[in-house]
Amino acid sequence: MGRLTFQGGVHPNYRKEITSDRPITPLAAPAQVIIPLHQNIGAPPEPLVAVGDLVKVGQKIADTEAFVSAPVHASVSGKVVAIENRPSCIGKEVLAVVIESDGQDTPWEGLQPYPALEEMSPDDLRQALREGGLVGMGGAMFPTHVKVTPPEGKKFDLVIINGSECEGYLTCDHRIMLEWTEDVIYGTKAFMKVTGVDKAIIGVEANKPDAIELLREKLAAEEGIEVKSLEVKYPQGAEKQLIKALTGREVPSGGLPVDVGCLVQNVGTAAAFAQYLKTGMPLVERVVTVSGSSVENPGNFLVKIGTPFGYILEHCGVVGEPKKLIAGGPMMGVAQITAEVPVVKGTSGILLFDKKDVPAGDARPCVRCAKCVDVCPVQLLPLFLMDYSLKGMLHRAEEYHILDCIECGCCSYTCPSRRPLVQTIRMGKADVLARRRKRQ
Amino acid sequence: MRMWQVFKNGVLDENPTFKLVLGMCPTLAVTTAAANGVWMGLAVIFVLTMSNLVVSLIRDFIPDKIRIPCYVVVIASFVTIVDLLLKAYQPEMHAKLGIFIPLIVVNCIILARAEAFASKNPVLPSIVDGLGMGVGFTVALTLLGCIRELLGAGTVFGIQVLPAAFEPAIIMILPPGAFLTLGFLLGFFNWAGKRAKQLS
Amino acid sequence: MVKLDNLVVSSSPHLRSGEDVEKMMWHVNLALLPAVVLSVYYFGFRALAIIVFSIAAAVATEAIIQKATGKDIYIADGSAVVTGLLLGMNMPVHVPLWLPVVGSVFAIAVVKEAFGGLGSNFINPALAARAVLLAAWPVHMTSYAVPFVDGATHATPLSILSGAAQGELPSYLDLFLGNVGGVIGETSALALLVGGIYLLVKGVIDWRTPVGFLGTVFVLSWIFGGNAGLFTGDPLYHLLAGGLMLGAFFMATDYVTSPVTKTGRLLMGIGAGAITVMIRLWGGYPEGVSYAILLMNVATPLIDRYTVPRVYGTARKQLARR
Repeated sequence: MGRLTFQGGVHPNYRKEITSDRPITPLAAPAQVIIPLHQNIGAPPEPLVAVGDLVKVGQKIADTEAFVSAPVHASVSGKVVAIENRPSCIGKEVLAVVIESDGQDTPWEGLQPYPALEEMSPDDLRQALREGGLVGMGGAMFPTHVKVTPPEGKKFDLVIINGSECEGYLTCDHRIMLEWTEDVIYGTKAFMKVTGVDKAIIGVEANKPDAIELLREKLAAEEGIEVKSLEVKYPQGAEKQLIKALTGREVPSGGLPVDVGCLVQNVGTAAAFAQYLKTGMPLVERVVTVSGSSVENPGNFLVKIGTPFGYILEHCGVVGEPKKLIAGGPMMGVAQITAEVPVVKGTSGILLFDKKDVPAGDARPCVRCAKCVDVCPVQLLPLFLMDYSLKGMLHRAEEYHILDCIECGCCSYTCPSRRPLVQTIRMGKADVLARRRKRQ
Repeated sequence: MRMWQVFKNGVLDENPTFKLVLGMCPTLAVTTAAANGVWMGLAVIFVLTMSNLVVSLIRDFIPDKIRIPCYVVVIASFVTIVDLLLKAYQPEMHAKLGIFIPLIVVNCIILARAEAFASKNPVLPSIVDGLGMGVGFTVALTLLGCIRELLGAGTVFGIQVLPAAFEPAIIMILPPGAFLTLGFLLGFFNWAGKRAKQLS
Repeated sequence: MVKLDNLVVSSSPHLRSGEDVEKMMWHVNLALLPAVVLSVYYFGFRALAIIVFSIAAAVATEAIIQKATGKDIYIADGSAVVTGLLLGMNMPVHVPLWLPVVGSVFAIAVVKEAFGGLGSNFINPALAARAVLLAAWPVHMTSYAVPFVDGATHATPLSILSGAAQGELPSYLDLFLGNVGGVIGETSALALLVGGIYLLVKGVIDWRTPVGFLGTVFVLSWIFGGNAGLFTGDPLYHLLAGGLMLGAFFMATDYVTSPVTKTGRLLMGIGAGAITVMIRLWGGYPEGVSYAILLMNVATPLIDRYTVPRVYGTARKQLARR
């Protein structure tokens, strides 16, 4: 049987071996954490504390009434020293609460473990997801309680736990599956309960056989949860591609996974959910892979949300001539201009690359080799989309489904003329959306 | 002075072939030799000048709604004259130009000048306009004919120009040669025009 | 706290495959090498001279035009070399040496650079130049030589097959090895197959175009190629003879002038195959590969427009609306 996969995709050099056998190591809290308030897609939460307040670990420091949003909690105990705009990993300054740690890490008194899964209703669990500040930890940071709430008239019939980790260098999900296996399984069950479905699939790329084996072993006695091995190919972990590979279903253009009955959650989110339910401690820390050619001691670290990249890199050591700092993976991560930016809930990796590993070279004319067409996982024609975006032919771009682009970057990766395809298409998408809004 | 402007306009600024790109059919079809271009041009000069003259004379009497048929009648008369004259005195050239002489009736340049110029201007400028446009057309066709004849047969106006060792490129006197030459000349005049504008 | 200065900020992805147009062009040149070697073996060093003149003229023209138009000079990308090489291989061995030069200048200056240079030409430069040379100097371009025989001109297998010329048909083996009359680069099906398979393995070309091309010629020449009625043709002969291998592997697959969609690439091959058979069997010329590819080149934008693939999550193949 052929391995489960999707059409298109690329095979970059994964370089996961650098960190795949480095266990998750807790990193002590820094003297100061910078916690951006807006760590989710949707409405930004409002601060609940003021400068000078004393906070404890797990204490809620920001929240809002809005549905599509997630609260933020203090990740250290100490004193709020500033609430101001700070650089963030999305490339602009955002409002952040700066807490000076007292070094005690005293947990907040109000934290309570939740009862066993059987004793909770889906609504309880949904409430818990919100209170715990859980968002998609694969990088999208979509509020989890929103995602598990199907829109009117739609229903889930399958929970998919995404353990594919298709980005290069990153191994945090791999380590989570190996070390926090019970939590991943517990979280999976919790997601099944909250959505009321009795079937779940954990999809893992075939380059993590140890994780697949371990999960299968632990799930041997369980019913309803299946572990499936996926072909190693980027972007296997993209939501739509994952659903296609595992179920053969296609999320309709412009639609959501719920339209085909699927709920997709990252293994990290599942584990975090389980830990929150078991301990009552909200999402205040996460596993981050630190890797790249300029990192002396790469590894997987459990760090407090709000820890500046620079602090972590200091711990790991920097060698050579660092030239590029990336939050996330090498294909979709965001390049940073400063190491002052803090880790947020969606930071899966911190990659630091030496000068020699930063691709260079000017773009050359397109020769229509169609490599981008062959690798596009949504079967778009990236060369035409780039052309239409550059020339402002937005009606054509729209007709050629520019809005279905998932921005995975396969086209730019593969282009032999080094053309900035996905970069231009991203701008084209923004232009098309702006034009749509204007028309309405 | 104004007359000179009108004339120059036809030859250079609004050259029917290189600027307006009108009358492409005879331009491409008959320019296999320089002499063909000249005779075709002369025929067009005559028809254009005379039809401009007559159209200008009767411009106030023609009802607006039927002006185009009127122009065509005028033009067709002169084309018939040219056709018969050529047949009588230049039978060889008449045979070479063939159908393209009668087709002058529907040549865009002639109808365009009647409509755009002669029907709005007095007699004298109309004649000058016809002459200017005609000369512009003739120059263009002769140029095309010279180049194609030179490369395609090694001669210009039938006189051997290139050494006998030159092997003529037959394609130049075939239809593709007409397109290639016209393309290059259009490109050249566009470039030259831009260049002149930049310099002034 | 580590402080980092001079960080490069760019939009993702931060990795590149390392694929390079330059490399792909040199792969093509390399793949043509066996055929070049065999052409020298069969036709002598004059064949090499033709190819050298043709390449030199192409590269020089490219450099001069890029310099004159103020562009960066990119002759090392190998694309002008490919054009010159293909044009040289498309000439009979007895052409005067100025002919490849004129052809290359035309290919690069008119067909390629006048339309915007690399990536912007709408038809294959080498083939367009060949068509122009064929129309301009038909006698030179159709005086085919027989291998190992000096000075004598001879009919090609296809002209014998079509009845346009007298002579005995060469054997399949001679046809396969290239021991037949024709232009210098097209005769050896073996050498071209080796090169073509090399390009397929290296992922430089897609299988759809050559397979569609060869398959269509095979099927149609089998059905219509015989004198004794339908299905009596000799498809193998049609595959091995003429410029089919050269065209199918090296010219119909030219990136710039062939469709980008997968269906389109297959259609490119099928269309070129059908036109080739039509010209060979019922046309005025014994061989039609060049014109078939040129015609399909012109149809390429249309093919791309009507073969837009079904996008993930959309209902059906959406044909172009306008």
